[in-house]
Amino acid sequence: MAMAALRREGRRFAPLLSPRPIAGVRSSLVSEEDAPFGTRSISTQVVRNRMKSVRNIQKITKAMKMVAASKLRAIQVRAENSRGMWQPFTALLGDTPSVDVKKNVIVTISSDKGLCGGINSTSVKISKALHKLSSGPEKETKYVVLGEKAKAQLVRDSKKDILLTISELQKNPLNYTQVSVLADDILKNVEFDALRIIFNKFHSVVSFLPTMSTILSPEIIEREAEAGGKLGELDSYEIEGGETKAEILQNLAEFQFSCVLFNAVLENATSEQGARMSAMDSSSRNAGEMLDRLTLTYNRTRQASITTELIEIISGASALEG
Amino acid sequence: MASNAAVPFWRAAGMTYITYSNICANLVRNCLKEPYKTEALTREKVHFSIATWNDGKAEKPVLRSDTPED
Repeated sequence: MAMAALRREGRRFAPLLSPRPIAGVRSSLVSEEDAPFGTRSISTQVVRNRMKSVRNIQKITKAMKMVAASKLRAIQVRAENSRGMWQPFTALLGDTPSVDVKKNVIVTISSDKGLCGGINSTSVKISKALHKLSSGPEKETKYVVLGEKAKAQLVRDSKKDILLTISELQKNPLNYTQVSVLADDILKNVEFDALRIIFNKFHSVVSFLPTMSTILSPEIIEREAEAGGKLGELDSYEIEGGETKAEILQNLAEFQFSCVLFNAVLENATSEQGARMSAMDSSSRNAGEMLDRLTLTYNRTRQASITTELIEIISGASALEG
Repeated sequence: MASNAAVPFWRAAGMTYITYSNICANLVRNCLKEPYKTEALTREKVHFSIATWNDGKAEKPVLRSDTPED
């Protein structure tokens, strides 16, 4: 995945210069083999212009890398702190990714901006795989898409299955209130038995793994509770106050969704900055290599034209003498 | 005296637990004193745009925001 992204980054420079720069430059200059003997090759201006634009691109990508690195530091702290929000829920209700339900809703989290490597494509790939896995007779799977990039990819072949798309999430710094309002909207508009949230979990600056979190609706929790396991132990808890177990389960399920979504959005944002940092880093390195190759070509062209002039002068001079 | 289906007042009014806890959190934030209060209220800003899709077509996106667009 990373290699494909690197190759894509390299290819983006291709319209500027073809992948085999020596042949590319030659095809635009008059080739020394095809031209009649003795002609000068055209000026080095073309190569110099290319070098200037590649150098500018290198500066820009270096700057983007610095920006992404600083944003990463800030948001990484918040993502790690938010992990504590869903851990009690997993301790209480367990995590059952293999639960078999009729209505699955896949919440795919992606970024709005591009130039961040392959993370959005991996999220979409996993969402599509999950869609395939969980489809069957009487089962239905739908998408809720956060972020422009995943929307663009999913619209291409799964238009009919999209329920909601959300964008412009990162206009203000991410906070819990915003994500919880979003979670509320999703809960009100979407019928589900199980929600699967797909995001890139941040492990380190170079490793972001696509992860799936499962939230069950209260009815399914009841059903699974009868099947035993972690959920079956819920009955051993005493309930204070005037609420019934079903109400508490519903409150818990809603709050769990909101917390897990908050953590997922933060982790995805952290992964996005990390991926952008490494993508921009490899772009700068590619631009540097391209610059080296261009410099060699430039020097060779320059020296060839000097040599041609010298030959003309000397042969002219020897013609005069002789 | 509580009937079997006694729901809390907010659930009967159509709110989810999330909305309820957000309102409570807002009340707590408003109890702070001045410099911390504005800081805390900046942590409450909401802005996103959501579009429902019907049968492969997107409806017009609805912008939910605290900062109204001009």
